Amino acid sequence: MKTTKLASVVAILAALFFTGMAFAQTDPGVRSNTGVNAGQPFASVTASPNDLAFFQTGLAQFNEHQTVTGDNPGLGPRFNLDSCGACHSQPAPGGTSPASGIFPNVGPNPQSQVIANGVVNSNTNTIPYFVFANGPVREARFPFFFDQFGNPNPNAPNGGVEDLFTVSGRTDAGSCSLPQPSFNTARATNNIIFRIPTPTFGTGLMANIDDSTLLANHAAQANNRLGVGGAFNHNGNDGTISRFGWKAQNKSLMIFAGEAYNVEMGISNELFTQDRPLPGEDQLGSGLPPSCLNLAGIGYPEDITHSDGTTASTVTSDVGLFNTFMQFLDQPTPSTTSPGGATSITNGRRLFSAIGCALCHTPSLTTQASKLTLGLGNATANLFSDIEIHHMGAGLADNVSQGGAGGDQFRTAPLWGLGQRIFFLHDGRTANLLGAIEAHQSNGSEATQVEENFDLLSPSQQQDLLNFLRSL
Amino acid sequence: MHPKFSRSLALVCFAISLTAHAQSSLQSGGDFSNSPQPNALPSDVILVKGAWSSASDSVTPVPELGRVANNVFSNQYFGLTYAISPDWTEKYSGPPPSDSGYYVLAQIRLAGTSNGTRRGSILIAAQDLFFTLTPAGNALELIDYDKESLNADYKVEQPPTLVRIANHSFVRFDYGSPVAELHWHVLATQIRCHMVQFVLTSRDTKLVESLIQEMSKMTLPAEAGPISGRGGGEVPVCIKDYARGENVLERVDPVFGERRFNPAPVRIIIDKQGKVKHIHFLSAFPDQVKAITDALFQWRFRPCLRDGKPVEVETGIMFGRAPRPAILPASQAVSE
Repeated sequence: MKTTKLASVVAILAALFFTGMAFAQTDPGVRSNTGVNAGQPFASVTASPNDLAFFQTGLAQFNEHQTVTGDNPGLGPRFNLDSCGACHSQPAPGGTSPASGIFPNVGPNPQSQVIANGVVNSNTNTIPYFVFANGPVREARFPFFFDQFGNPNPNAPNGGVEDLFTVSGRTDAGSCSLPQPSFNTARATNNIIFRIPTPTFGTGLMANIDDSTLLANHAAQANNRLGVGGAFNHNGNDGTISRFGWKAQNKSLMIFAGEAYNVEMGISNELFTQDRPLPGEDQLGSGLPPSCLNLAGIGYPEDITHSDGTTASTVTSDVGLFNTFMQFLDQPTPSTTSPGGATSITNGRRLFSAIGCALCHTPSLTTQASKLTLGLGNATANLFSDIEIHHMGAGLADNVSQGGAGGDQFRTAPLWGLGQRIFFLHDGRTANLLGAIEAHQSNGSEATQVEENFDLLSPSQQQDLLNFLRSL
Repeated sequence: MHPKFSRSLALVCFAISLTAHAQSSLQSGGDFSNSPQPNALPSDVILVKGAWSSASDSVTPVPELGRVANNVFSNQYFGLTYAISPDWTEKYSGPPPSDSGYYVLAQIRLAGTSNGTRRGSILIAAQDLFFTLTPAGNALELIDYDKESLNADYKVEQPPTLVRIANHSFVRFDYGSPVAELHWHVLATQIRCHMVQFVLTSRDTKLVESLIQEMSKMTLPAEAGPISGRGGGEVPVCIKDYARGENVLERVDPVFGERRFNPAPVRIIIDKQGKVKHIHFLSAFPDQVKAITDALFQWRFRPCLRDGKPVEVETGIMFGRAPRPAILPASQAVSE
């Protein structure tokens, strides 16, 4: 009798549990049943042999692994990785952080493999505590400089990239001896933040949206009833709206590429012409030691336009090729049926707009005429971003200022291709879409009220919205 | 002073300065530090601010400093108190004012998850009518504009209508989203040339109606009304573009050290003698704040007269990148 009673209770509880499960909304995860839906050039590029050759050479250069000396010289003396394509690889070259166990199974976090792959010497480099095989590719920044006692000094903002690795100990690095930054002290003092790679699909379209279009969109959204403000970051040289990077700090893809080549891989180029010391090495007035300069033995800048080239793509510098590759990358193709089916996705899209997500994540903007290729001109860019910077509150603040963006301001992340991304938010803190949505509310965030609206939806409505996002 | 002694003194000073320089260099651990017992920075705090709000004094009330305490939202600048039910709470504070004058004054929500059907939120916001990007001159026009610009996701449930709440006139506008099954009820009035609005959001219209009933206990200044709220009485009168033309007797342009591209909207209070009494920066970088403050305190205005008596005036000036009202040079203003 007692056993029967217990069994009944268990059965009832189980029924309640599974009923709850049926209504609980979940992130459908990376979309894997539609193939890879990003990484292709515009049809107009494919149709032009010259443009296609340019794109393919750019792609090859993007995926090339650099060394300190040799055929692909210039790596280091400090770097985060040795190839653009290693970090920007999910779900295709040009994308973002990969993972080995998640579609399309590109591979483990390449930063976790640098010792195994011989990119760094294990006697002189360790894998930082925040790099995991199944975690995101990360760059690290210290928001503030340390004082002599090892305390971060809030009156001394830093915010520059602290490269993870050095070439020290490599056979091609001579006597260059450099330590890695003090990541553990930075961790102990809560003085470290991270950034993950931004996907570059469709970025040529973003580059080709005129400022007037962005300003009109801003004005149209200004009188909202959801707590959203917004502003633009500007390029310090000409005052126009800048748009690339987590804080929209970079004006163009060329600058984005040139800076990344220099900062992430340590390769000087025609836009950033010197090897880069760490922010602290600059602040201390020492710069890089002479033994770590001109390691390639080819002089500076290490990447140049080749006057001895015979075709456009062999004349062009690596940075120019990266720029062309990114410009010619078409926007990702969303699915109309997966995950969850067409009805759910359609409903989710309407909910996305109704609760206010679309205020900042502007579904589409129109580009201006393009001289580069037909696909870039007068096109609908389904970017789901207003390219504005918004206060995202204390919960997401990284206390790094870039251009006009303050410590809690971030560019509205474009959502195209979201369905096949693994890691979310600027630091890749979550791989769960629900977690990313919830992180939108905190003290000082412009998105709190919209997130509150999301919470007001029923579980099935929330599921539709998640399905829509994973369809992108 | 003996030349030899002064040379020695100079050398000593130079040596001290070198030591000081070396120490100051050493004081920065740069990217390398191995201190065993460092102090950690606080988490979830915004330490590095970009363009932000500030004021020339901490005594004069400013719009963004309202707060919820003991279940009462109060805002001294707007002269507003609003008692909220005990089961409603403010979990998160709002962002700083936008550079077009939009304020999140409070975000209040029903505590807990309840049964999932009686949940809702109250957003109390304000829009500075001096800096709005919307072509509207008062709260009524702004709400009318809202209705006209409502997109296809929403359905108008009650067009903008004048209602009485707490013995003051408000404009009420209801709309809903059929797909989200959410309803928005907007109640707006005007105080000190700001539209102050209460946005009530819920799936449950009865809940919202009960909230509206409770708003009858709200206290507001006498000026509050969808068109009428233009200051006066115990607060300055607010006049758009007062800092223009013949009203400006002396003007000093701010000297900016750094080239910036952001709009820097500023509200000032001019005293009865025509001097700037208070400056409120809605959004500006610290260097802009200093330059503009230094300049504005040198401005002189023609005193504003109401019924033949001088009164304090509150007005707005846009510095920085955004289009700003043309301000005539002081020489021209004086000659008129």
